[in-house]
Amino acid sequence: MSLKVSVLLDGQLDPEEVKPVLNEVASDPALRDRYTIYALVGDVLRGNSTPDDGFTVRILDRMRSQGAHVEPGYDPFAT
Amino acid sequence: MIRWVIAATQGVAYAWLEMEIRDQDAELVRLAQSGDAPAFEALVVKYQRRIARHVARYVRRAVDVEDVVQDTFIRAYRGLSSFRGDSSFYSWLYRIATNVAINALKRDPAPVLLGDDAPEERSDAFQPGVSDSEDPERRLIASQIADAVQRALERLQPELSEALMLYEVEGKSYPEIAQMLGIPIGTVRTRIFRAREFIAKRLEPVLGPQRPRRW
Repeated sequence: MSLKVSVLLDGQLDPEEVKPVLNEVASDPALRDRYTIYALVGDVLRGNSTPDDGFTVRILDRMRSQGAHVEPGYDPFAT
Repeated sequence: MIRWVIAATQGVAYAWLEMEIRDQDAELVRLAQSGDAPAFEALVVKYQRRIARHVARYVRRAVDVEDVVQDTFIRAYRGLSSFRGDSSFYSWLYRIATNVAINALKRDPAPVLLGDDAPEERSDAFQPGVSDSEDPERRLIASQIADAVQRALERLQPELSEALMLYEVEGKSYPEIAQMLGIPIGTVRTRIFRAREFIAKRLEPVLGPQRPRRW
């Protein structure tokens, strides 16, 4: 399964595979961890080092706490 | 002969590559547009640090960078229905981040850092979550992570590190790597995975006790 997580990160899964793999990742903390560590490795190799101190979680928590959702007609570029 | 063929088809290859990059996140974006939150979260995990590095060209303090990055992803999620796929998702996100950063500067012009002061040229370049020089402990942890990755990379089988570096650092696509190395795409996929897994296992002792929850 970790192989598919790696390929998911790279956007190289067949479209019909994405949803089932994503569902497994979303429901399995170990696979979510794998996805984030693979992403971290790539970022470190590109020079974007990080202390892995919850930067991701703070972004996601704020999105959830604000109840962010897709809003038809919303312009993300509006000032 | 091979060079001539590549040169003659270079225009086509570039056009194809652009399509490849553009479509890379298409299915995750499509799912997120239909309200699948984990699909968008997967995109956040994938692009957060690249966006943070871009934002740090405009905003210096780590806390401000983090605010701008959070605003960027919230705006992107809310406005996802307006994304038509005319550019890559990352390009679209990048433009939103630029707008949000510039607006932040208008409200608080103090942290402006452009041109020669761009973080790539600064010794204290931004690290997501690191508060510049004010937090040496977090900087040390970031350095330990970078060192662990580097050490793992040095112990990795050359054919695995080659595939990973071509993908992550050189920005080559799977088909390009397959062509360059003369191997099937399935082998590229496996080599990149094995390289990541090798590094991840050596990174876990450094990461484990610090932050069990990452997503």
